Formats: sequence, structure tokens, C-alpha cells
Amino acid sequence: MTQKRQILITGTTKGLGDKLARHFLDEGDIVFGCARSPTDLTHDNYHHFCLDVTDAKGIKEVFFRIRQDFGRLDALINNVGIASMNAFALTPLETARKIMEVNYFGTFSCSQRAIGLLRKSKAPRIINLSTVAVPLNLEGEAAYAASKSAVETLTRIMAKELGGFGITCNAVGPSPIATDLIKGVGEEKIQKLIQAQAIKRMATPQDVINVVEFFLRPESGMITGQTIYLGGIS
Amino acid sequence: MEIELIERIVLESIEISNYTLDDDKKIIISHDAKLFGKDGQLDSMNLVALLIQVEETLQDQGVEISLTDEHAVSVARSPFKDVPSLVNYIDLLIKTMQ
Repeated sequence: MTQKRQILITGTTKGLGDKLARHFLDEGDIVFGCARSPTDLTHDNYHHFCLDVTDAKGIKEVFFRIRQDFGRLDALINNVGIASMNAFALTPLETARKIMEVNYFGTFSCSQRAIGLLRKSKAPRIINLSTVAVPLNLEGEAAYAASKSAVETLTRIMAKELGGFGITCNAVGPSPIATDLIKGVGEEKIQKLIQAQAIKRMATPQDVINVVEFFLRPESGMITGQTIYLGGIS
Repeated sequence: MEIELIERIVLESIEISNYTLDDDKKIIISHDAKLFGKDGQLDSMNLVALLIQVEETLQDQGVEISLTDEHAVSVARSPFKDVPSLVNYIDLLIKTMQ
């Protein structure tokens, strides 16, 4: 019998994180989820932690508890992210700083803490969430895109440094999906973005799950340091 | 925490780390084993792996310290040189915390 995968996903109370968690639970995996707030997701294989990813002490505690009770981690999916769509000239420094704290430093801290537990897996994976706003250099998303750009660079460097442990590090960059993250973006802008894609439709959570599952496959052990964008953006 | 216990934790962590190392890279376990740097038995990746193991074992004993801060990596007399220097460094960190 194949061993159940043990997957930690950050930001599981809504949007993509919630969909990812439910997908893996349907697949029979053990899912550790975390978010600042409690969840209404109840499942025998779901374990929720109330955690703000900017809280280093809280992160340590989560990994300690996973290690104590489950011993290893097969994948860390750094999904949690915040955005603030605003013109660069009008973006308060504090907002830019907060976005960097959650999107970049949150990914950094969780990945760092996960190394010990991932080393105990046969196919250890770190999967980060980026965005097509990076290659498109989207106006109005300077702070958000810059934070994800940092995540992509981190992904490539972690891939090199953690390759010796067999840990692969990759990122997926979704094109627009109907989640809370883009609710502040106007319909016209979304349509313009979609028209810039090779595949001219809104992405779905299933499109992201497909890429994530590709990275997770044991056969994908040679795939590392990559960012895959949806919709034909490059 | 007694210095003898710290040394035991370090030696046990080396033993656990050895499980994942190729035969020709396994660390010879001794009280004065060379670890990293000149004459050291570990490359940087395997040093990181050992330090993670030591941190986890200490955590199980209720001790939360980070062995890999920038200071430790940059000091002239590396605390990761051998078993005694690592044990003394852990002892120092624990005492600083108290």
C-alpha cells in the first residue's frame, strides 16, 4: 500500500488554499492547513493550525507539532498571499512592507523550518505560489508582483541549495482565477489580461492543482527551480 | 542542561545523520570528531543536516535554539569545527537564553 502523502498548505481558509486542501483530502492525503483564522473544514485527515506566517515563533511551533505527531512532511505548499492593487505612486510603504512580510518572508520562514521534516520524505517538495503579474510586469501591482518576484528567485536558489537533500522547489504562477485575491481588480482589466494569454479563459483552481500534482509526482524528481505560468504567459 | 547531555545529543545526532550518508562519507563518531572546515568530515549540506538534527533533538528536550545564525557562520573560530566546539557553542547559547 502506498504511504499517504503528508502535505502542509499555508492559507487554507479560502480561495485556492481551501481548494488545494479539499483536493488532497479527496485523494486520501493527510493535510496540515494553517491560516490566521479557524476553519470550517472538518475531515479526519485535516489538521488545522491558527497561524500568521509572519510569526516566526508560531511557525516553529507548527513544525514542532507536525514532527511530534507525524514525523515527516512530503510537501510544503506556500500558498498564503496577500495583494493590494494600487498604482505604485499611491501605494503606502507600510502596505508594500506587509505584502513582502506575508508573501516573501512567510514563504522564506516556512521553507526554512520545513527542511528537517522534508528530509524524512522519499519525494520531498516545496511548491510556491507566484503570479503572471511577474512576467507581465503588471501596472498597478508593483508591491504584489515584486514580492512574488522575490519568491521566484528564492525558489530557484532553494532548488540549488536543497537539491542535495532531494528536495525539489518549484513555483506555479496562475493567470487570473476568481478568488478573493483579485476581487479588487476591475472586470475590464481582467478581460485585458485574459486576452493577452495564449489560452483566452479564466483559470480555475483545477488548473493550478494540475501543476501542483505534476510537481508532487515522485517521477518529477528532476523538475526543480522552475516556475510554470498558466495560460501561455512566459 | 548539563554539558554531558549536550554532548550525548550531538553524538546521537551524528549517528542519526550517518544513516543518510554514503559509507565513505559517514562521520567517525568520537568525542573529538572533526566536523566542518579544515580536516572536517562534513560538507556544507551535511553540516546543515546535522545541525537540523541537533536542533530537533534539543527541541524534544524543550530547548529552542537556532544553531545557524549569521554570527555562527561568520566567526573566525567556527563553532562547527569539531564535537567539543559545537557542544560548547550549544552550552553558550543555552546559557545566553537563560
